[in-house]
Amino acid sequence: MAGIEQQVTTFTLIMFPIYILAFTLYIIRAVKGPTIPDTVLAIDAMTYDLAAFLVILSIFFRSPILIPTAIVLALWVYALDVYVSKYLESKEMGG
Amino acid sequence: MVMPDWLSNLSVWVGEIMIGVGVVSDVIAAIGMLRFPNFFVRLHAATIGTIWGAFLPLVGVAILSVGADYLGSYRWFMGGGALITAVLILILGPAGSHALARAAYRSKAAKVEPKCVDHLEEHIRGEERDRNA
Repeated sequence: MAGIEQQVTTFTLIMFPIYILAFTLYIIRAVKGPTIPDTVLAIDAMTYDLAAFLVILSIFFRSPILIPTAIVLALWVYALDVYVSKYLESKEMGG
Repeated sequence: MVMPDWLSNLSVWVGEIMIGVGVVSDVIAAIGMLRFPNFFVRLHAATIGTIWGAFLPLVGVAILSVGADYLGSYRWFMGGGALITAVLILILGPAGSHALARAAYRSKAAKVEPKCVDHLEEHIRGEERDRNA
């Protein structure tokens, strides 16, 4: 059983820098993004990946405390999408 | 519940392969998001980033955590939470992208170029003409 533990920990450690590279590229687009939809789309894609990253992180730390955070993050960024598109389309937030 | 050794090994391997494919396509989507020329082309990269870059690794984590016995009985909670997040992303990601694309087109916040023909624009213009008449 110790073999599996070692293998999973090494694997997740290798995955982290690749994820950080992807987040860096998304953040560059979010900062540069010439229009508002570009910024929102970059943050949208980045946050869905951040939810996956948090779940992998909870496997790495062997603690389940990060799992509810990932669910809330996925729901929150959908709310961001809907609010921004509502504002763009009718120039008001809607009560 | 005791799992045979080969089954837990298999599920760990399958989960790791799914996470690996997801991470690689995540980087591909990020590069596309940076290099593509305008908003409507970048939507393609965003689709890769949400489905292949987030949905697939989450399902992979759910499969992996079933086989990882060293996590204790909390691994069922981890796997279930990962599966719920995966299903939420599968439903909400495309819905959010579509809402954003529609709003960006209708409010003219992002330019559609290069374009040869735009039937939606003609349709919207026709609707406006009918409303004004």
